Amino acid sequence: MLPSTLWRGMGADTDQLRAILNVKLMLDDRKPMTLGRQRKEKKEKRNGILTNMFISLCMGLLYTFPLIFLMIDSDSGKDNTVFALTLYFSMFLFMLSFLLITDFSNILFDTRDKYIIFPRPINDKTLFLSRMLHVFIYLFRVIVPMSIPGWIVLGIVHGWKSVVLFPLPLFCLVFIALFIVNGCYLLLLKLTKPERFKEVINYFQIVLSVILFIMGYLMPRVMQSSFIQHVDLNTLSWVRFLPPYWLASCFIWLGHTAPIAGTQWYGTLAIIVPVVCLWVTVKWLAPQFARNIGAIDTVEVTEQTNVSTKKTASSAKYYTWLANLLNRTDDAKAGFIITWLQTSRSRSFKMRVYPMFAYVPVYFVYMLTLDRNRSLSETWQELPNKPKFLVLLYMCVVVVTQALNYLTVSDQYKASWVYYAAPVDKPGKIMSGAFKAIWVKFFLPFWGIIALFVLYIWGPARILDIILAVSNMTLFALCIMRVGYRILPFSTQEQMNNASTRFLRVFIMLGVPGLLGFGHYMAVDIWWLKVLFLALSSILLWLVWDSYANTTWENARKADI
Amino acid sequence: MEPIITLRHLSKNYGDKRVLNDINLDIFPGQIIGYIGPNGAGKSTTVKIITGIIQDFSGEVKVAGKDLRENLMEIKGMIGYIPELAELYDLLTPRDYLTFIGKLYHLPDDIIEERSRKMLDSFGLLSNIDQRMDSFSKGMRQKVLLTSGLLHNPSIVILDEPLSGLDANAVILVKELLQVLKQEGKTIFYCSHMMDVVEKVSDRIILIDKGNIIANGTFEELRQNGTDSLETIFSKLTSGGDLTQKADDFASALNDRSTAL
Repeated sequence: MLPSTLWRGMGADTDQLRAILNVKLMLDDRKPMTLGRQRKEKKEKRNGILTNMFISLCMGLLYTFPLIFLMIDSDSGKDNTVFALTLYFSMFLFMLSFLLITDFSNILFDTRDKYIIFPRPINDKTLFLSRMLHVFIYLFRVIVPMSIPGWIVLGIVHGWKSVVLFPLPLFCLVFIALFIVNGCYLLLLKLTKPERFKEVINYFQIVLSVILFIMGYLMPRVMQSSFIQHVDLNTLSWVRFLPPYWLASCFIWLGHTAPIAGTQWYGTLAIIVPVVCLWVTVKWLAPQFARNIGAIDTVEVTEQTNVSTKKTASSAKYYTWLANLLNRTDDAKAGFIITWLQTSRSRSFKMRVYPMFAYVPVYFVYMLTLDRNRSLSETWQELPNKPKFLVLLYMCVVVVTQALNYLTVSDQYKASWVYYAAPVDKPGKIMSGAFKAIWVKFFLPFWGIIALFVLYIWGPARILDIILAVSNMTLFALCIMRVGYRILPFSTQEQMNNASTRFLRVFIMLGVPGLLGFGHYMAVDIWWLKVLFLALSSILLWLVWDSYANTTWENARKADI
Repeated sequence: MEPIITLRHLSKNYGDKRVLNDINLDIFPGQIIGYIGPNGAGKSTTVKIITGIIQDFSGEVKVAGKDLRENLMEIKGMIGYIPELAELYDLLTPRDYLTFIGKLYHLPDDIIEERSRKMLDSFGLLSNIDQRMDSFSKGMRQKVLLTSGLLHNPSIVILDEPLSGLDANAVILVKELLQVLKQEGKTIFYCSHMMDVVEKVSDRIILIDKGNIIANGTFEELRQNGTDSLETIFSKLTSGGDLTQKADDFASALNDRSTAL
C-alpha cells in the first residue's frame, strides 16, 4: 500500500512505519464511535471504520438537500447553483470542522505514544510521516464518503465537467477546515484548563449530535419553504465574506458558463485563502498545538496551598442539602449524592442524555411542520385550539427514561464493590435515592420549562393536565425501573442487547406512554375524569414506589463485579 | 481467648472449579494476620466471603461469635475492607467519595467531615480534598481507599495489597498505622505478595495454595531449619519447580541468534 522507496528516500524506516500505521489503523477500527451508541460488546469490536464511513455518507446526504431543492428554481427554471452550493459548502465545512474537532484529539495526539513509541529507537522522520499518513488516511475516509452524494447530484445536474472540477473546491474546503480545527483547539487550550479540555470536546460531541438530528428532521421542510426558495444572493452582501460563497464562486468560475458579478475575484480568494490557511496551520498552529496538547493527559495534581480548610462542605453544598431534605435514610442519601455527582461529571452519561433535551422540542417543531397545507405561522396560530400539548408533555418521558437507562451503567462499575462491603440492608433504599436524584435533576427542571410553555400557549386551565401527565410519566418511569432495572446505580457495564429485546424495549418505551397519553386525550375535556385518573395514578405510583424502594438483595440484579 | 473470625469447612466453587477447599481457620483479636499465596490461590475469594461480598458459599463463617449469614449487616459494619486495585468512582473528589461511603456506614455528616479531614491530612492529601480523583496517581487513590476503609472505625481491618503504588514514606506510614491499629485491639487481615513486609508485620502467617491452607503459624514456626526467609519458604511450598531453572530458560530464549546491540 505504501510506495516504500519514496518513504525511504524521505529518511523513514519503512518497517517501523508500516508497523506503527498498522497498529494505529487497527485501533481506529476498534475505537468507540464519536456518534451513536458507544456500547461495549462482548465480542470483538470491529468494522468501526466502515460504520464511520457510513455515517459520513449519511451526513453527506444531508448536505445535498439544498443542491436537490434549490439548484434549479422549480417555478422559473432560473439557475440558482451559487446559492445552493454556498449552502452545501457551508454545511460541509461546518460539520466537517465539528467532526474533526471531536475526533482529532484522539487521532492526532495519542498520549500513549509517549510510553509506547517514544522510548523505542524510531527516528523523527518516521514518526512525523506516520502521523501525517495517519491523518491523511483518516481524512480520506471521512471526506470521500461525505462528498459522494454531492458529487453525484452535481454530475446529474451539470454534467461530467463538474464531476471533474468538484475536487478542487473540496480540497480548499478541507484546508480551511483544518485551519479552523487547529485554531479552535488552540483557543480551547488557551481558554480552558488542560484537564477540562476533554470535557469541552465532549460538549462539542453533544452539540454535533443535536445539530445532526435537527438537520435530519427539519432540513427538507426548510429547503421547501417559500422563504428560502426566493432568496436572492445579490441582495445579501454579507454572504460575500463567507468562505463557502468563495468556494461556490470558484466552482462556477471554473466550470460554468454563466458567471455572476465578481466571480473571478471570489474564485481566486477561494484558492488563495485555503493555501494561506494551510501554510499558517503547518508553520504556526500545529507546532504550537503539539506543544500544548501534551498537557491534556499529563497527571497534574497541583498542590493547592491556599485551600480554604475551614470550608464546611456538608452545609455549603446544595446537593447535600437536597439529599437531606428529600431522603430519610442514610442509604438513600448516599444514593442521591452519588447519582447527583456522577451524572454531572460522567462524560458518557452526558453524551447520551443531554441530546435528549434537544430532541423533544425539535421533534415537536417537526410535528408542526408535518401539515404541508399550512405554513408554519398558520400552524402556530392554531396551536391553542388543539390539544397538542399532550404530545409535548408525554414526549418528555424520553429524557427521563434515557437518564434512568444509563443510571445503572458506569465505566467504573467495579467500584460498586462498596455497596456489598458496606452494611446496606436493602439496596432499594440506595436505588430510591438515585431515582429521586434523577427526577429532581433531569425531570423537574425540564418539565418546568415545558409546563411554562404549555401554560403560555394553552392557558392556565391546563394545570390539571400537566399534573396528571407528570404523575403518569413518573409512574411509567418507575415501573420501568421496578421491572427492568432493579440494579444499584453505576454498578454495571454497558451491554449490547439483542435485536428482539431492543425491539420490545422500544415498543414499551413508546407504546405505554402513548397509551397513557391516549387515555389522557380521551379525558382531556372532562375534568372529573382527569381527577379520577390522577387519583388512580397517584395510588399506583405510591404502590410501585413502595415496592421499588424496598427491593431486597435477593430481588436486585447483581453488579458486574 | 475467643477467636474473632472462625472459618469452618469453608468451600467455594466457581462452576466446576473449586477455589476454596474446606478451609478451617481461627483468627484471634488484636493480631495481624499475613494471608499469602500465589495468584489464583483463593486469597481474594476468602476475603470477599468474610466481608460479605460473596454470600454463596458452603461451610460456616463466624465473626465475633456470630454467624455471618444471620448477622450480615452488623458484621459488615464491624469490618473495614480495602480492596486491591484502587477501584473507586474517580469522577468524585475525595470529599464526595468519603461522604458517600460514610453515609453507607450511617455516620453523621460532622463525623465524616472531621475524620476524613484528619486522615487525609496525615496522608498529605488534605490539599487535594476537593480535586477530582481522575487526576490522582495510583498511590493517592490508594490513600483515599485506605481512608474510606477505616472511616467508620472498624474493629476488623481487611487489606488486600494495601501498599501497591504507595511511595516509600507512605509505606512506612501504613506499616506504622498497622501497629497502632493493632495496639488499639483491632484485628488486621493482611493479604499481600510482598513477602518481606508480611514477614515483618505479621503475628501469624497463613499460606494458601490452590484453595488449601498449606501453612499456618508464626514466622518462626514456618521456617523449619531456622535460616529461610519467608520468600524461600513461599517458593518451596508453592512454586512446584526450580525457579532458577525457569529464569535460565527464559534468558536462554534470547540466545538463538546474536541480535544484541
